[in-house]
Amino acid sequence: MALALKIPDFQVYRGTEPPRFASQAELECAKVLDYYGVPWEYEPTTFVLEEDENGRVLEAFAPDFYLPDQDLYVEITLMKQSLVTRKNRKLRKLREHYPHVKIKLFYKRDLERLAERFHLDLAS
Amino acid sequence: MRELGAEIARDYADREPILVGSLKASFVFLADLSRATPILHGLDFVELAGYGSAQMGGHEQIRVLKDLDADIHDRDVIVVEDVVDTGLTLHYLVRTFELRKPRSIAAVTLLDRPYRRLVDDLPVRYVGFVVPDELFVGYGFDLEERWRQLPDLRLVHS
Repeated sequence: MALALKIPDFQVYRGTEPPRFASQAELECAKVLDYYGVPWEYEPTTFVLEEDENGRVLEAFAPDFYLPDQDLYVEITLMKQSLVTRKNRKLRKLREHYPHVKIKLFYKRDLERLAERFHLDLAS
Repeated sequence: MRELGAEIARDYADREPILVGSLKASFVFLADLSRATPILHGLDFVELAGYGSAQMGGHEQIRVLKDLDADIHDRDVIVVEDVVDTGLTLHYLVRTFELRKPRSIAAVTLLDRPYRRLVDDLPVRYVGFVVPDELFVGYGFDLEERWRQLPDLRLVHS
């Protein structure tokens, strides 16, 4: 679900469509990446995690960011670390199905540390 | 500190590297590291506007508050960082310095949090301590611009 957020003119956004962030935290992370000149894309890839016998997708996962220069996907979550079981399970599945894909999960605590350091507004 | 200085002296014997401190927090570390590095070397400083202060000032692109005084063309550059976690600052510095065609670029950091890295193509060659996800003050490290003067690193309990 995209929110009505004020989107700045990004300098190193590498996507083709304007990003539609689902949270303020995602927007803030995008702004930090852009500030430091690290090229980024927003949800460029959806990984299929499970299909039924007819090839219908039962479960999929689209990490929030992709950093092409690093070949790294980044997923951020504002849930407490103790409540991210479902997301961790998805990440485990992703790593099983796509072992060559590099992905990093930024937990609430990581984001709070970033927010402290960079004075981010993570509200909403 | 002696170990880091000895390693650098061994790796850069007869090469006169330049140690570049990334202000502000690295200034105490740089002073100690310089005295612990028993080879001829240069010193310089660079300072970038942090993301938070830049946003408050309405700047959406990184700004160099203090550039190098030295010409680093064909020099061996060692960036001196207080801490490397996401790696964003060091990544920016390395890319900027590379445009000036130094002979080599490496980095030394007092503290390292490799598990927080967002960019991993960094030339971090010398590491003091890998530390847990805790806040430190003192020895040049600050909290809201305070406590830098404390002589040792202190853990901040939230």
